[in-house]
Amino acid sequence: MNIKINGENETITSPTTVAQLLTLKNVEMPDMVSVQLGGEFVERQLFSSTTLKEGDEVDFLYFMGGGSR
Amino acid sequence: MSGFSTKAIHGSVRPEPHGTLRPPLYDNVAFEFADSREIQLAFEGRKPAHAYSRISNPTVDEFEQRIRLLSDALGVIAVSSGMAAISNVLLALGGTGTNIVATRSVFGNTYSLFEHTFKPWGLNTTYVDMSDNAAIAAAINEQTRAVFIEIITNPQLQVVDIAEIAHLAHERNVPLVLDGTLTTPYLFRSKDYGVDIEVISSTKYISGGATSVGGLILDNGIFDWKKNPKLGALAKKFGPGALMTMLRREVYRNVGACLSPHNAFLQTLGLETLSLRVDKSCANTQALAEWLQKHPKVVAVNYPGLDSSPSYSLAKRQFPRGVGGILTFELENRDQCFAFQNALKLVRRATNVNDNKTLTLHPASTIFCEYSSDEKAAMGVSDSMLRISVGIEDIEDIIEDFERGTAAI
Repeated sequence: MNIKINGENETITSPTTVAQLLTLKNVEMPDMVSVQLGGEFVERQLFSSTTLKEGDEVDFLYFMGGGSR
Repeated sequence: MSGFSTKAIHGSVRPEPHGTLRPPLYDNVAFEFADSREIQLAFEGRKPAHAYSRISNPTVDEFEQRIRLLSDALGVIAVSSGMAAISNVLLALGGTGTNIVATRSVFGNTYSLFEHTFKPWGLNTTYVDMSDNAAIAAAINEQTRAVFIEIITNPQLQVVDIAEIAHLAHERNVPLVLDGTLTTPYLFRSKDYGVDIEVISSTKYISGGATSVGGLILDNGIFDWKKNPKLGALAKKFGPGALMTMLRREVYRNVGACLSPHNAFLQTLGLETLSLRVDKSCANTQALAEWLQKHPKVVAVNYPGLDSSPSYSLAKRQFPRGVGGILTFELENRDQCFAFQNALKLVRRATNVNDNKTLTLHPASTIFCEYSSDEKAAMGVSDSMLRISVGIEDIEDIIEDFERGTAAI
């Protein structure tokens, strides 16, 4: 399955959830990262139940400052 | 690790290259990156990394993290002063044509910020008695962007029901901003009372004894920022982190009132002994208030820890560990206040609070000197009032000095 992660094209196994993607991509400070799917915020409690689909655009973002790690 | 003091001392343990027990002072401006892609990701907010110390710095981050651990806030930003904390928050929340609803006993410099700095730009303030729920409700309108209160007003020492005000504000989709300087997260954990944003002058108790000037902004992660017109778009992308993002990527970054790494290092040291110093300061203040209350030359004493205070019951309930280190008392007139202060040999005449040293100030002729008699009266500041910030010396020595002061009137 092809998706975009932080603006870059990537190919990942399907099905993959947001939580699995965090592990798969070895995302830094996973407890602090803010995840956007198609430009919309994904609630942390929905990481495990949100399954990615072909063409999705995922961004991992951080607001530095006491919430950074 | 659950106790306040343990968390304050150990923080969030992380490895240091040389195994240092105390995180080093990164007195540094810029940080380099391995390649172009890495620095691009950092600037886009897609990589958690420090790039420039006006925006973030490892030593400042350590201080922010410890405060976050102690308060359970969603995010913390350390700034250059308590006033910078208030300014940054209100610049992020409000704008021209909007208003804030604030306690009418607001701290003198905060009042000046609202009236002389913000008002000409179109951000207005409505002042209300925060013990009057109907007045608070009536003051909030569609353009209100925050309700602003102080934990214990200075120098009136009024305590209000914070959970109730939070409820009132939230019913009207407005966040509650609390100045928690005089209690710190040790005496009052604002998140438990529904406070959305806490601002603190860390210059006071936290700095460890007036070592350095600093401030803190805590977002407790309670408020839905989609309800604020300026933050709605960011809330869609960052959820509860919208205000922190707005500050870090715009207001805080652009205003430039960052905390220096050196001050962050000093304030982290201060934080480690906070609970000991606050306990001692509160115990000394209680003892001094009781001594003053019995003194024949003292007209009145105001301290929320005295059962004569109208705030006594509420203060005991909201602040079970102690009701702070400030008291005021009244003599007959201003001349007596000046004579009292001039006779002191241990207690210092200075405008600060929550220092390790006991300090005295005549508010009417100092921090409120630019206000008219009517304004002072409205703010509960009289010519016959002295404010005492009680330090952590031995109480016997403080009382001996007060005997010297009262003998001079």
